[in-house]
Amino acid sequence: MADILLLRRTARTSWYRWAMHTLIFIGFTGLLVFHALDDIISYPFISGYESTLDPWQWLRNLFGGMALAGVCLAVARRLGNRQLKAISRPQDWLLLGIVGGIMLSGFLLEATKIISPNVFDRMTESYFLPEEETDVPALQAYWSARNGVIFSPPASTDADLVAKGEELSANNCNYCHSDTASAFLSRALSTAISPAAQTLNTTHADEYFWYLHIVLALLALALMPYGKFLHPVATPANLAARGGSHTATPPLASAAARKLGLEACTRCGECSLHCSVAPAHAAIGNANILPSEKLVSLRKYADDGLSDHDADAFAEGSRICTECLRCTEICPSGINLQELWLSSKESLKQRELDGPNTTIRQCNALQWAEVLSAQGKSRFEQIKGNGLADKAESFWGCVQCTTCTSVCPVVAVSEAPAKDLDLTPQQIMNLLRMGLKDQTLAARMVWSCTTCYKCQEHCPQNIQVADILFELRQIATERLKERKLTACPLPAATSGRFSDTTRDIQGQGSDSEGGKA
Amino acid sequence: MNRYDTIYDVMVIGAGFAGMAATLFAAERGLKVAQTGATGGIDFSTGFLDLMAVHPVAEGRYWDSPWDAIDAVIAEHPGHPYARLGKDRIRTAMNDFTSFLQSQKLEYMGHEDRNTPILTPAGTVKRTYRIPRTAWKGTEALRDKAPTLIVDFNGLKGFSGRQIVEMQHKEWPRLKAVRVDFPGSFGELYPEHMAWTLSSPDRCKELADSIAEHAKDVEYIGFPAVLGLNDPVRTVTLLEELTGKHVFEIPTLPPSITGPRLRATFDRGLAPKGVCTFSQKMVLEARRDEDGLFSFLIGVPGDARTVRAKNAILASGRFFGKGLRAERTGVVEPVFGIPVTQPEQRADWHHPHFFDKQGHAINMSGIEVNDSQQPLDAAGKVLHDNLYAAGAIQAHHDWMRMKCGAGIAIATAYRAVEVITEKNGE
Ligand SMILES: Cc1cc2nc3c(=O)[nH]c(=O)nc-3n(C[C@H](O)[C@H](O)[C@H](O)COP(=O)(O)OP(=O)(O)OC[C@H]3O[C@@H](n4cnc5c(N)ncnc54)[C@H](O)[C@@H]3O)c2cc1C
Repeated sequence: MADILLLRRTARTSWYRWAMHTLIFIGFTGLLVFHALDDIISYPFISGYESTLDPWQWLRNLFGGMALAGVCLAVARRLGNRQLKAISRPQDWLLLGIVGGIMLSGFLLEATKIISPNVFDRMTESYFLPEEETDVPALQAYWSARNGVIFSPPASTDADLVAKGEELSANNCNYCHSDTASAFLSRALSTAISPAAQTLNTTHADEYFWYLHIVLALLALALMPYGKFLHPVATPANLAARGGSHTATPPLASAAARKLGLEACTRCGECSLHCSVAPAHAAIGNANILPSEKLVSLRKYADDGLSDHDADAFAEGSRICTECLRCTEICPSGINLQELWLSSKESLKQRELDGPNTTIRQCNALQWAEVLSAQGKSRFEQIKGNGLADKAESFWGCVQCTTCTSVCPVVAVSEAPAKDLDLTPQQIMNLLRMGLKDQTLAARMVWSCTTCYKCQEHCPQNIQVADILFELRQIATERLKERKLTACPLPAATSGRFSDTTRDIQGQGSDSEGGKA
Repeated sequence: MNRYDTIYDVMVIGAGFAGMAATLFAAERGLKVAQTGATGGIDFSTGFLDLMAVHPVAEGRYWDSPWDAIDAVIAEHPGHPYARLGKDRIRTAMNDFTSFLQSQKLEYMGHEDRNTPILTPAGTVKRTYRIPRTAWKGTEALRDKAPTLIVDFNGLKGFSGRQIVEMQHKEWPRLKAVRVDFPGSFGELYPEHMAWTLSSPDRCKELADSIAEHAKDVEYIGFPAVLGLNDPVRTVTLLEELTGKHVFEIPTLPPSITGPRLRATFDRGLAPKGVCTFSQKMVLEARRDEDGLFSFLIGVPGDARTVRAKNAILASGRFFGKGLRAERTGVVEPVFGIPVTQPEQRADWHHPHFFDKQGHAINMSGIEVNDSQQPLDAAGKVLHDNLYAAGAIQAHHDWMRMKCGAGIAIATAYRAVEVITEKNGE
């Protein structure tokens, strides 16, 4: 509850965001209850409620002022942070624009009404029965002096007339109208715009502002179901569904819960500001690396709305994610982003969209060797020139002592390295020594290497084993990319046993492998 | 104080037997020690501590008594490192070294005055001075020719029970072998991973069950040396309980787990003695200022830092350890540029026959030192009065064929530290 009503989670990233949200939240809710929905709520439930009476009139100004201040803070935040500015989309600005517009038009409406003699005339015609000839001028004089109506020509300032007007006003108007002074913001605004009063009044500007106000409000209502406009509803709902705090285990990782999570995004951008692989975004430029942007793609992906190109970008972003949990920890809306990524990665994997790491595992190393060597060097390799794996100097110290393999944690967790990994590090070095680089490109050892660098650190001959493995993976990736291969072009090996076909390239056919003694 | 700001009493250059021994002895004498060095001889060693066993190498004659062998080798090679040390010192050095290992749960056994015959992974018998406790029962089985089962594993290369039996069956008829699957694995196996696996009692139980049938009629069971990494005695004892037999280890071909065990033992035991280890780092350059203070550039090119020390012990080994470098025109010592005693011409480095019993002249090359283990320049003068050398880098020995690797390394390291301590006390 504290999370929802006090917006506690927004305070976790900064007080600034909390203040901004709280202002908008309180202001907006207040306006909703005491203004927009007053027919439904205030009139029936509050006796003597009248929108133009105090304290309601005053409160409305207060609420409107708060909301507007909040919107201003939000705009300043987005403009002030370069990173955030870069990822702000039209939608984000639209929401701020509409909310700000509703507030501003509301104030302008009220201000133009205050100064409008037309409105005054309409009111007096409907609610005032003049008994004497000076009654209307007296009321005009009083409203002009006291409540800021601007008549043309100007109302009399005669003190007696004003005093009479005050009396008439007290008897006729005050049931429904407090002094406009209590609408402190609108009144101030009306003073500010008074030099233009003439034009505003003759053009019936208040009516235009009324339309603007209503249209904007209806627009907001109409946009409610879409994206960010829903967040004031979806976010609390999401928080409620998750039991408030992000640490509580989500009650259900169901599709519905995920959908709710997707809707709850306020696009505040905090996740992207805290993303641990944001530097990769700076280097590669793929927006899908940033959680807030990836989430946008994810919504489309979930609806099958991504083009092939965008799906690739989404997949790349997903691959680069390290599942460090920071976005989930920071999300003010309590969205379980981690769970979303895990499930979307799983789905990408099932649809074989998760990149070369899956592609490469579709065929065995020998088949890939055939495909990749037929292709020849990629442009990347040609530009880069000979790498470590091409240079004899890289390996001529190798004595095949197996130290690299012995210390390798990936080999360690494999029950049967020859079957699970195709080749061990020292075997890869051996193939490279023999000039068989293409044969190693798809070896699962290359693709399973965690680059922990133990092999390289322990090599008694200072061979850059880990760097070489990494280079091989990069070469293979570039070749796949160049041919846009997202699947193995050859039929999968019929035997299904990787080792059967890799046996000949290991060239070590030792008696200890395979059959039992 | 930052470890790069400290001025150390001794910088030990090398992390092989000599480097480890020098570091240990110096730390035990209260010196502030820094150590550098990467993977080297110790990681590849079979874990036996050779003192002196073969002389003359051309005959391949094994000696029962290492002490007699030392006398014999000195008589023929007066420049041999042992000639400068004296037996008492060598004995003390070996004992100090092994008692440290024992304090770290890596117990060594052996006879005071003779070498012990033991099986090699090739199935031959060699003689050595000190043997890890986990291998010791193998020497008893060999001595008594007791009924023994050698176990090997599908997927473990370079260790064949059948080969050992083939080699020994004439003298040792009751030796037999069995090959089984390693618990929880199939396919290729690597000793370090196997050792980790067998640190688990459950896996040991599986292993014991899988050989129970074959071990019915034997007294001893020999395994390749993969029985645990940090506390192998515990694993061996557990297997003895599970099988009801005497259990021993036979080192596998290098790199065998016995090397990493030694290294791990030093890694564990030296830090508490205040040693600052710059692990896997090499000395790229050494400088000495007017006051004799050494500055060492350590690390890798492009990422190196300076460490300063009052004394240095050069224990960088020979070619494989990278203490000596064979260049086209000759052999050099890369850190200090110490002159290297070597065959006159490159053509003389190797005997025409690779397996010739004489060995190769290049394997007797190395630097010259005086009685205080101080390297000498071309004129036979002490190069720097605060620079010492220990281990295989010294000339006039062929540890590989003489079977004196660990002994020379440990004893010369001991001497170097002794001299430094004496000077410190002055
Ligand atoms: C396969 C094999 C099996 C062996 N088995 C046995 C055995 O069972 N029993 C036995 O007694 N002996 C054995 N030995 C021999 C024994 O390992 C060597 O005799 C002994 O290690 C020599 O010790 P060392 O410390 O002088 O040199 P090394 O062990 O070669 O160590 C040299 C060290 O110096 C470091 N180094 C080199 N240059 C620099 C630099 N510039 N800066 C910093 N550090 C540097 C290296 O990284 C390395 O750590 C074996 C050797 C091998 C290769």
